[in-house]
Amino acid sequence: MRNSTQISGEVFENLRLELRRGCLSLAVLAQLRTERYGYTLRKALADDGLEIDEGTLYPLLRRLESQGLLVSQWREEDKRNKRFYRLSPEGSQVLQQLLEEWQRMSDSLGKILQEA
Amino acid sequence: MSKAKDPMEMVDRYLQAVRFWMPKTQKEGGLIAELGDDLRSQIEDKETELGREPNPEEVAEILKRCGAPMVVASRLGPRRYLIGPTIFPVYEFVLKMVLLWILVPVFIFIVGPATLASTNGDWGKAILITIGNLWSGAFIAAGVITLVFVILERTHAVADITCKWDPSSLPPLEAAERKTSAFQAVCELGFGVFGIVWLLLVPQHPFLILGPAAAFLKGAPLWHTYYLPIVLLCAWNLSRSAITLAKPAWDWYPKLSELISTALTLVLIHFMLKAAGQIPPGGWQPFVEVAENLRNSAHFIKIAAIVNICIVLSLAGMWVGLCIAAPIQLWAFMSFLRKRDYRPRQTATLHVQ
Repeated sequence: MRNSTQISGEVFENLRLELRRGCLSLAVLAQLRTERYGYTLRKALADDGLEIDEGTLYPLLRRLESQGLLVSQWREEDKRNKRFYRLSPEGSQVLQQLLEEWQRMSDSLGKILQEA
Repeated sequence: MSKAKDPMEMVDRYLQAVRFWMPKTQKEGGLIAELGDDLRSQIEDKETELGREPNPEEVAEILKRCGAPMVVASRLGPRRYLIGPTIFPVYEFVLKMVLLWILVPVFIFIVGPATLASTNGDWGKAILITIGNLWSGAFIAAGVITLVFVILERTHAVADITCKWDPSSLPPLEAAERKTSAFQAVCELGFGVFGIVWLLLVPQHPFLILGPAAAFLKGAPLWHTYYLPIVLLCAWNLSRSAITLAKPAWDWYPKLSELISTALTLVLIHFMLKAAGQIPPGGWQPFVEVAENLRNSAHFIKIAAIVNICIVLSLAGMWVGLCIAAPIQLWAFMSFLRKRDYRPRQTATLHVQ
């Protein structure tokens, strides 16, 4: 039988994943203002404190590309074929809107937390 | 199977395993190539960090961190459902309706009795055959329903219907669940006491049950055999009312005790009917018989036969009614337990400062 610590741990984990899910798209779009391939993108995100596993990143890149927010290109580098991603013009616009929304939410949350 | 010793061969084997578990449409999308490049880059980083080529154990650690091939394939591929979350509640509802409210009653009231007749009244054999048929019937029905819903999921037919719902055509609010009131419990207790006293007086005063016919009729052996179980059943029902009244906090008790009472009555009636059926037709007077001094009177024998037939028919009618009531009561009890589990344990409070 699961105890209350396990249940609250599970609840926290689910909420944390929900919170991260939206942030990851924003972080990936922001990182891809500079052209990168998968592994260097993952490293850049991890260096900034946002670890993301392969199984999450690559489907996310595919989804963002299919939505027209990213463009990709296969190129050879260091004798290996790599797929490079960068923000599309439409992606730049959406990123700008998302950053404004993020700022608004962050301000609101800051106010709510201060009131509490 | 041979173990890979070359680190790059390990990666290739890993990618091959991931590819195996990926859906066909995703296999050619370049995802495997990207994953391979990612893993090779990780190995190169490890090489730079160590100042030497990583050994198979160190490469295995990188692959393990990445995840089991089947898990990675499921993460890389699109989320797939046999029946998606949109139509799953409808699927569950239809499945319950068909299995519990159509299939089970059909088997209890139609297939079961038909099987009993075909096995010449062999209850054990009839029950086994009916359960076997019910199992295969339920399996086929569940399979067909699942198949239909898989087709609906693939064709997005239900999604189109759910887009066209009208808020004004929603069903009216359900009435709040009726609880056993104290007045009802007191009435039940009062009638229960009256009933049991009446029943206890019957052996000494047959007039109480037979009326004027007590002058020429009396209880037959079957009546004497089943008198005590009938009294015990009445006593159980009396205790039900008393406990319901004494322990109002036991909100589960009225429903459970009602269910047990129905089950006990069903068993008792079953044995009474079976015993009545085993009496030879020549002297068929199972529950009441003609008094000794009037046994040669054809008129009184005819009256006794009519009374016995009426009793048997009443018992049979009661048996059918209880057969219908039992699954309904069981369903009500299960629903009650389910709702009770979901009910919040603690009332939320609002603090106004």
